[in-house]
Amino acid sequence: MTENIQNAAQNIYKPAIMKIVARHDEAPGVRTMRLEFQDPAEHDQFKATYRTGMFGLYGIYGEGESTFCVASPETRKDYIECTFRQSGRVTSTLARSDIGDLVTFRGPYGNRFPIEEFYGKNLLFIAGGIALPPTRSVIWSCLDQREKFGKVTIVYGARTVADLVYKHELEEWLQRDDVDLVLAVDPGGESPDWKHRVGFVPTVLEEAAPSPDNCIAVLCGPPIMIKFTLISLKKLGFDETNVYTTLENRMKCGLGKCGRCNVGSIYVCKEGPVFTAAEVSRMPAADL
Amino acid sequence: MTKILFTDKLDNCIERWKSAGRTVIGPVQKNNISTYDTVKSASELDLNLVLPDRSIKELFFPQSEPMLRYTIKKEAINTSEFLPPSGQRIIFGARACDASGLAIDDPLFGWDYKDEYWFQRRNESVIVTIACTKADDFCMCTSLKLAPDSPKGSDIMLRPLENKKGWQVEELTERGREAFKTIADLLQESNEAAAPTITVPEKFDSTACAEWLKKPENFESKFWKEISLRCIGCGSCTYLCPTCHCFDIQDEGDTYNGIRRKNWDSCSFALFTMHTSGHNPRSTQSARWRQRIMHKFNYFPGKFSANSCSGCGRCTRQCPVDMGITETLQEISKLSQ
Repeated sequence: MTENIQNAAQNIYKPAIMKIVARHDEAPGVRTMRLEFQDPAEHDQFKATYRTGMFGLYGIYGEGESTFCVASPETRKDYIECTFRQSGRVTSTLARSDIGDLVTFRGPYGNRFPIEEFYGKNLLFIAGGIALPPTRSVIWSCLDQREKFGKVTIVYGARTVADLVYKHELEEWLQRDDVDLVLAVDPGGESPDWKHRVGFVPTVLEEAAPSPDNCIAVLCGPPIMIKFTLISLKKLGFDETNVYTTLENRMKCGLGKCGRCNVGSIYVCKEGPVFTAAEVSRMPAADL
Repeated sequence: MTKILFTDKLDNCIERWKSAGRTVIGPVQKNNISTYDTVKSASELDLNLVLPDRSIKELFFPQSEPMLRYTIKKEAINTSEFLPPSGQRIIFGARACDASGLAIDDPLFGWDYKDEYWFQRRNESVIVTIACTKADDFCMCTSLKLAPDSPKGSDIMLRPLENKKGWQVEELTERGREAFKTIADLLQESNEAAAPTITVPEKFDSTACAEWLKKPENFESKFWKEISLRCIGCGSCTYLCPTCHCFDIQDEGDTYNGIRRKNWDSCSFALFTMHTSGHNPRSTQSARWRQRIMHKFNYFPGKFSANSCSGCGRCTRQCPVDMGITETLQEISKLSQ
């Protein structure tokens, strides 16, 4: 087979090269990396297309590509931040990578949170564990234009105190008087000096009892948490069409071709990953 | 009067096409398996098959396709691209089901993001289909509203003469017309009658099946478990299918040098949808078989207005446990009555 050197324009499978410029350990096995584009044209394309909610395929040649969200908001497009748990081949190698190392990125793909539609509304963010990163992207998109929104409430829970991610940002949100942050850890996960709630996210949410009036909820977490939190939101009077979540399925292409991320007839990579709870409830539950 | 290509002129045609720079491909026997492959002369072609064991898909979407070569040096990643080998091709003696399969997958590979590996080959290939004059018990094109002489995806349709001495030539597309200009003087005008196209009986009602599949309550029907009990998840049906397009992307090499490849994958495999966390949305073989049927006859038509099945019957013909789409859709036809 002939090997041609070609420009990247037409090969949809060719990733951009990114340099790791910063990294931060969030929790045991969980790391955030800040990546910068090396090719100005690729960066310009990212700036033109990226909107909060979209995802990417992060990769290391020789290991492969992994799908996760872009954890940085659309209001900060000089770089891409991603937060991942070290578990498979790609994430383990990413975790061993150092500042200055090169990795790859393909994207951004998928749909987005319709943030303009949230203007003038109260916002309720609910996240569990490692699902704060996709939520954080929306949180900062809104906090970076804080004046456009009403009350902002964040309910975040993790298994243990150590498992809370973005601890420095949680501290910042606690200090801000225009953000109401409710922190919780699962029973048994508290440390002796833990000053916040102990309990599971749905229970903590019901205790906090945010008003559903003129309020948009953004909910991200493991499937089991989503399931019970949706019940709690219903109890609190939230309409399914005002609750947004993101789905994450295994993907290889991210382009609607490789055939594995669909839930029922919905291709998560193209029609998602952002869905309202009303849309999710119409999907076949057994395929989630 | 119709244009006729006589079989004894076929060698001259192949010669002519080859000297015009085209590669000629057709059904051949190779290691006791019939498949589509490059031929040098007409004698290599096996045009008496009902259809080749392997589908035409791999001429456009190979089982393993190198996409990128990476070389990593300190502070730099060099990537070079593999493009599909370019060159005009004539695929002589395709079956209508195989040609339709290509047309079915075109919108999938072009959906927003254009897969050049597929389209470069598509744009450089002329599909010369021979209408079927025989079929076997597994053929089911008519159940999919296609036919043994369906023009979908073909550039030229050849209809075998009754006396078996040649074919009536029907030019379907500009691309086909262009390719046959090269051999215009080798064709003869004649009144020879074409043999009747084989009648393939309808085996199921695909419209009724589609209606049944669309009903949300049937997603969790116990039918899926019963019908797929003997599936061993080998993936043969997906690999032989002319429309199955699922793939994996894998790196072959080490930390410094290697090749990123696009490889066939299959919804029959447990690992296909497995999350890193261990959660698997389609964790049972019945869920995977349901996905295959739903995808072909419900999801795909919903997006691209065509079933992702051209009725070639390979999935059933070559299934090691005698399962297949035919049986499943026949059962669904019964359930939907």
